[in-house]
Formats: sequence, structure tokens, C-alpha cells
Amino acid sequence: MENVIEIQNVKKSYRKKGAKEKVEAVKGVSLTVKKGEIVGLLGPNGAGKTTLIKMMCGLLIPNEGTILINGINIRQKRLQAMEHISVVLEGNRNLYWRLTVKENLEYFAGNRGHSKKQIQEKMEHLIDRFNLREKENEMVNALSRGMQQKVAVAVALIANTDVIFLDEPTLGLDLETSYEIRTLLKEIVEEEQKTIIISTHDMPVVQEVCERVVIVNHGNIVADDRVENLLQLFESKAYLFTLNATLTKQQISFLETHFVTSISQNDVGQTLLEVNIQQSEDFYRIIDLLAKEQIPIEKIDRTTVDFEEVFMKIVKGGYSHEMAKSV
Amino acid sequence: MKWLNLFKVNIKREVILLKRYLPNTISMILTFYIIFLGMFFGIQVVGDPGSAEMNTQYVIVNYIFWYLSMAVMAGIGWTVQNEVTLGTLEQIYMSPLGAWRIFLARIISSTVVEMITMTIMLFVSMLTAGTWLNIDIIAILPILILMIVSMLGVSFMIAGAAVIFKQIGSFLQISQFIFAGLTFVPLSTAPFLEFAPIVKGVDMVRQIMIFDYSWTDFTVVDYSSLILNAILYFALGIFVFFRCERVAMEKGVLGQH
Repeated sequence: MENVIEIQNVKKSYRKKGAKEKVEAVKGVSLTVKKGEIVGLLGPNGAGKTTLIKMMCGLLIPNEGTILINGINIRQKRLQAMEHISVVLEGNRNLYWRLTVKENLEYFAGNRGHSKKQIQEKMEHLIDRFNLREKENEMVNALSRGMQQKVAVAVALIANTDVIFLDEPTLGLDLETSYEIRTLLKEIVEEEQKTIIISTHDMPVVQEVCERVVIVNHGNIVADDRVENLLQLFESKAYLFTLNATLTKQQISFLETHFVTSISQNDVGQTLLEVNIQQSEDFYRIIDLLAKEQIPIEKIDRTTVDFEEVFMKIVKGGYSHEMAKSV
Repeated sequence: MKWLNLFKVNIKREVILLKRYLPNTISMILTFYIIFLGMFFGIQVVGDPGSAEMNTQYVIVNYIFWYLSMAVMAGIGWTVQNEVTLGTLEQIYMSPLGAWRIFLARIISSTVVEMITMTIMLFVSMLTAGTWLNIDIIAILPILILMIVSMLGVSFMIAGAAVIFKQIGSFLQISQFIFAGLTFVPLSTAPFLEFAPIVKGVDMVRQIMIFDYSWTDFTVVDYSSLILNAILYFALGIFVFFRCERVAMEKGVLGQH
């Protein structure tokens, strides 16, 4: 499949207000995205996600490196590249609040050179698809945050571009609206065959919508893999031992020193020992230790992980790029 | 065709917002008229009675062009600042037709609206003062268009500064007095201002409206100077705007408020 986005060794540094030294927001990132891929861009606050998205959208010029959108160098032919990109930026920064839903859709499509006639059918479809029919003639400032976000996504879709960037599409939404947006995104992905890059902190969005995830931390890509691979990688190494005893301080200290563990007690006084096994020998070492200390084992479960845990482990450093490639 | 669609939606947007902010528009026109009344009665009360009519005519022409220059030359700067406040500036920059074309479309549509307002105000002012100026459309229109082109250049320069610095409201307020200087000072008093934007044009329009000149009363040099001025300022304005855009994109301040 052809590459829609190709980023090579992109770097960006800023000088913060009042600071003498520059902050390196993105430190030599390389990335390719194929046509039709849905990529989740994750990372803690200040990791460089928004900087990366803005560079891919041509809103920010990198210090070094190249960004190609459908083979077009965004630095050299920015406007030509814009034909292929639309974006929903974080927050409420995408719409005119004193224009109605329909007026916003028409306006932003017109700014891309589309006539009302050209977009009419698509606009009607999007209004129905996003359940905006009752609100189509209402001004955006009268809509709820969730409705506004739906209009912003509809505005990005009406542009009919190959690539859509969504920066925190569910930020600040209640659970119900967040679920609705997620469902809509999934439907769009199935229907429209677009390449979508979603920057988010909302792990259900990643797990339900994205097929690939890129995790950025301190301006570098620290993980780039399919969502199921990352889940599998951590799932296969995490075990929960339920022990019918209370551990001594020495035993806890030994386990914490030699294994990545979390130790807690459940309601019935059992000890829950969660262990991340790096090598299979470790599993036998723990069994041997428990046997030697005569600690009765009630049961051993392989723990299920959600993407939030995977993300936290990766960001905290319990993962290397090479590990993913070996899976 | 794409440009035409861009122009159409931006004109439509201006008209919609003009209607939705109608009280604001009406209060602006009323303020304009009240200030004119202040100046008119000032001339009647403290001015030389012998030159009162001539002074009133000067005031009407100068004041009308001051109003137009404020609207056009500061127009794109205000637009950029409003877009930043609304948070939509980055979306404007996602247009494959270029942000400058969107701003140009907006300023052209708002200028058309301002010119209609200006014409109404001109007649209201003449009616109030009981003095009639020579409204020779054939002679005035080409000069007015060339003046507006040079004003657009200045507007793009100011907009460029707004793209980088954002909060330029104070500068725009102060710039009103610079524009007043450009429209009120006659070219005969300050000939070096011929190279400044709009001064030559306003001077020529003054000759037509107050001294009944026709288009044939001006020389080729007059028209050439006006054309050159318009081309130069417009080209310089676009160049400065593009440079400022680039600086803002390099510094990462495009959408920052």
C-alpha cells in the first residue's frame, strides 16, 4: 500500500517565553503512514504530539527534516499539500460561533474552493449521519460541547481530503458523547476509507478506533506498532498470583528487587501479587521462592490489560522499540 | 472557479455577520455622524466665517476618506486578531487557496459595505452642512480603486504583524491618527507625502470634489504616480505578509493567543 504520509528525521525546537534555552519538542522523528491506516498518536502532555500534528498540517515549519503528504513536500508546496489534509484541532478552535451549523459547513468548504452545489449532497449526508438535522440552523454557540465537536468533525469531513488529523477529538466530552463520537469515528473509518491520525489521551478511542498506535515521549517515538501487538506483548507477561498468606517485609523486598511487581491485599485477606515476567525463567523462580517460603498459592491468572496500562508502561520505560519488533 | 467560490462564501459570511451585529454597525455609523456634527459646528462657531464653507467641504472629504482608510488599512489586522481570539486562525491556514486570499475576499466585501456606508454618510453630511460637492463618478472611481489597492497593501503589512504579535489592538487604535495625518494633510503642505499610501489619491479626489476638476485636468504623471503607488504598496504588503506568515510558522506562534 502506498505511503500517504512520510516523515523523515523531523526536528523542532522552541524558545519558550522568557527562557534563554530552546526546548526540543520533537527530536528527529521518522514515520510513515499508509493509505487507509487509522493511527493513534499518544503521549503524555508535552510529549510533542500537537507539535508533530501541526508540522504534518503545515501549520508549523520544522527546523530539520522532510514531511511528504501524498509525495508532496509540505515545506516547498504547502498549499498543494493542503488539498489532501483537513484537521480538527484541540478545543473549540474550529468553528465560527456566530454562524449556524450549515453556514459553518458551507463556509469552510467554500474556503477550499468547493461550491454549495458541489457539497450539498455530502452536507445533507453528514448532517444526518451526525444527528445534527434538528440543529442545522442553530448558531454554534447555542450547541453543547459534544454537538460542537461533531460539527467540527463534519467540517473536516466535508473537505473530502485523503488525510484527516483529529487532535483530542473527545477531550472534555462526557462519557455518553465521547462514546457517540467514538462510534461515529468507527463508522467513518469503515465508510470513507480515509487515512486518519488521532492524537488522544482517550484510551478507548485508541482501542476501538485505531489499528496502529504511535507513542511519543520527550519528542521521540517510543513505540510504533499495531494495537493488538502491544496489548499481546504486555498481556503475555503479566500474571496475578493469589496467595493465601501475608508476605513478610523481607519477602516483599526480595520480590520488588527482582521482579516488576505490585503487591496488594484483597477483601478476604489474601495477598495479590502482580508480576511482569521478562523471561520465562522468572516464572519458575517465583514459584520456587513461594514453595521455599511455604506460601500457599490459591491461583495464578494471566492478567488482562487495557490500553491505558500498556500506554503507562511504555511511557514509564517498560518497553523498547526492539521488543515490539520481535513480537 | 475555486477562487470565485472562496470569494462567494466570504462575502456571504460578511453579510450574515453584518446582519447579526446590526446594532454594532448602526452605533458605529451614529458615532461617525456625531463626530462629524462636532467638527461641523466647531467650524461654524470658532472658524473664520469667510472660509467656513470651504473648510466644511475639506472636513467632509477628509473625514470620509479617513473613515475609509481606517476601515481598509486596519481591516485585515482586525480580522487576524479576531480570528486568533475566536481560535479559528489555524483553520483559515488549512485552506489550499491560501489565507491571504481569504483575507483579501473578506476585506473586499467589507470595503464594499464601507463604501456604501461612506456614500450614505457623504450625502447625509452634505445635507447637514447644506454644501454640495462635485460627485464626478467617472473621475473619482478609478482614483478610488487605485487608492484602495494601496490601502490593501498597508492592510496586509499590518495583518502580517498581527499574525506574529497577535495583540496589536493598541497599535491599530494609534494608527487611526497616522491615517488621519495621511488624509487631512494636503499634498501642497507636505509634498514628500506623495510617496506615502493614499495621500496622492485623496489629494486628487479633493481637487475633483471641491474644485470641480474632471479626469482630464490631471496629467499622465499624476495617474502614473497613483498607479505606481498602488502597485508598489500592494506588492510590498503581500511580500511582508508572506514573510510574517513564515516567521509565525517557524516560531510556532500562528494560532497562539
